[in-house]
Amino acid sequence: MTQLVQALVLGLLIGGVYALMASGLTLIFGVMNIINVAHGALLILVAFITWKIWSLTGVDPILLAVVMTPLMFGFGWLLYKGVLSRISGSSPGMSVLLTFGIAITIEGVLNVTAGNKFRSATPSYFSESYRVLGISLPKAQVYGCLAAVLVLGLLYVVLARTWTGRAIRATAQNSSGAALVGIQASAVAALAFAIGTATTGVGGSILSVLYPFFPASHYDWISRLLGIIVLGGMGSLAGALIGALILGLAETLTATYGSLQWSTLIFYAVILVVLLFRPQGLFGSRLRQDVMA
Amino acid sequence: MAKQDKPGHVTRRGWSGTTVRAVATSAVVLLAVAACGSKPSDNAGSGNSKDPIVVGISLPLTGDFSQPGGEARKGYEIWRDQVNAAGGLLGRQVELKITDDASNQDTVVTDYTKLITQDNVDLLLGTFSTLLNFPASAVAEKNGMLYVEPAGGAPKMFDRGFKKLFFAQQATAQHQPDVFVDYIKGLPENERPKTAAYPTQDDPFTTPVIESMQKQLEDLGVQTVYTTTYPADATNFQTIASAIAAAKPDLIAQGAVFEDGVGLVRSLQQLNYSPKMLFQTSAPSNASQYSDGIGKANTEGVFYTVSWNEKATTPNNDTFVAEYAKRFDGGIPAEDAADAYAAAQVVQAAVEAVGSLDQDKLAEWLHGNKVETILGSLAWDETGAPTSDFLLAQWQKGAPEIVAPKDAATVTTVVSKTPWE
Repeated sequence: MTQLVQALVLGLLIGGVYALMASGLTLIFGVMNIINVAHGALLILVAFITWKIWSLTGVDPILLAVVMTPLMFGFGWLLYKGVLSRISGSSPGMSVLLTFGIAITIEGVLNVTAGNKFRSATPSYFSESYRVLGISLPKAQVYGCLAAVLVLGLLYVVLARTWTGRAIRATAQNSSGAALVGIQASAVAALAFAIGTATTGVGGSILSVLYPFFPASHYDWISRLLGIIVLGGMGSLAGALIGALILGLAETLTATYGSLQWSTLIFYAVILVVLLFRPQGLFGSRLRQDVMA
Repeated sequence: MAKQDKPGHVTRRGWSGTTVRAVATSAVVLLAVAACGSKPSDNAGSGNSKDPIVVGISLPLTGDFSQPGGEARKGYEIWRDQVNAAGGLLGRQVELKITDDASNQDTVVTDYTKLITQDNVDLLLGTFSTLLNFPASAVAEKNGMLYVEPAGGAPKMFDRGFKKLFFAQQATAQHQPDVFVDYIKGLPENERPKTAAYPTQDDPFTTPVIESMQKQLEDLGVQTVYTTTYPADATNFQTIASAIAAAKPDLIAQGAVFEDGVGLVRSLQQLNYSPKMLFQTSAPSNASQYSDGIGKANTEGVFYTVSWNEKATTPNNDTFVAEYAKRFDGGIPAEDAADAYAAAQVVQAAVEAVGSLDQDKLAEWLHGNKVETILGSLAWDETGAPTSDFLLAQWQKGAPEIVAPKDAATVTTVVSKTPWE
């Protein structure tokens, strides 16, 4: 019983962090149909910067998210205005090529500047745990998950309660309709891309503490995150959350009752089964084009 | 394909959801296979005896194995510069032709095929990891080229009956743990571990090491209480650590590449379970990256096996270490750089002994002779598998030391593992 609860709790903690990392990816896709393959590289970029600041100053890496988030917001905005806006209206395939190029560029720059080495931030609490009723809750994982929940909550409030959020959602649902009622599509797109990128500010800071990383680590992360949002329904925030929790639980439960070797397979098997019955993913909306295609 | 609402403008939902998902899913595949194009080649002929000797190499300079690949490049380049400074090989300068295979099996095959058939290189040197060396060595064998590899010690490399493949380390994967098992054998009965756990990454280089160790230790009477295999992309080790802590083994022997080694130790720390003995295959050989990852105080007593040591008194080792430090801000060479250097030394020894670039004669000579390298003395059986022993290393007071075999040891004492800080 304890074993089961332990696995469930760990799965949810891990899933929370995955959800945060996937949220920006799904938001950007939902609004702009851009599959941002550079999302993983941005996470690693933030992780490197966080690690560097932490190792020089000793400031808590997860706390550094407060600095990294606005920085990445600005970086995202510039990236959209300077590069991605040029392909607006093209096929998603084009966005994959372009953002893949950005990912390779970031990897290359990190290779040269930060060095091709494994790094991991080790604040004092990285090896400690809370103990509750025989269940162990690793502190770093708890803080990471709390930060993730906070950001996801904030993101939800912004999208659901503010006019900016309504404009973003309106553009995601029907861009022509949104334009008709006076929403400026290009401004909303830049904003959504900037917000999506800003989430890597928190995600990357957490990553720097939880997982050792090196410049090429982004390949592992982006494939995991794409899997999450395909399962949850591309463009859906709730879908990203549920998809991430399923991946987290799949990892811990298969590791506890089978072998970790099977967890990736189980996760993709879940995706396969879900897509068989719900081709749009768990929370994806079924579009006119899907029926007609 | 695209539904267009007005001419020249594709609406956001213009692409069907199915297409979009297909693109998203294939993006994952794209990431895996995307390979950087090979470098443009100028046709380096080999006919004239005044021309430089061109050595063709493909390395994983980008992608998953970019770290060892980059280190191997450093090792090869230092060797080239030292050989050229000493007058070259057979009186000719040595030139390296290095291409990037992006850690991709298909690209490495293309690269070596191109190096041999289009660039007409004079010699080859191997790439990194069993994954890449396995197909690359087959290309070399098919084309009758000598192939000395600095890595790639999985057993399956050597059961193909290749005549021109040589592995330039001391032992293949299944004999890597021998030196550690010998150390356990040498302990008094009551100090030996009674139980052991064997988690390992699903990797052609770690799995055979751990499987072989488990078998040998079981024969010694060490009871196996836990085994598991996890995939290369595993990042969360809490569940494995919980299971190990519940089984309470005296010894944890992990087939760890790097992140997984750090990850498991961190998770064990979070559970506050410290085994009496900890062995990891290669993670602890990553010097400061390892001690930074788990905390310097927590490295005390950790065992691992390694092919090379910076303090070894083997031929050329001191000049290699000094040159590396000079070029890279006083850095200590990674094991991968040293292995690459040693592989080049093997080829050099064969060429100098034979006095020509005749590939058959070079291979024949290597089958019959020992070569002194910075790793120590290397010799091979008829399959190209080496027949020496690895070094047993242990972290002591924040630095890695060699504890066995005796003639290579840098310290005389073996310390016991301290509990986590």
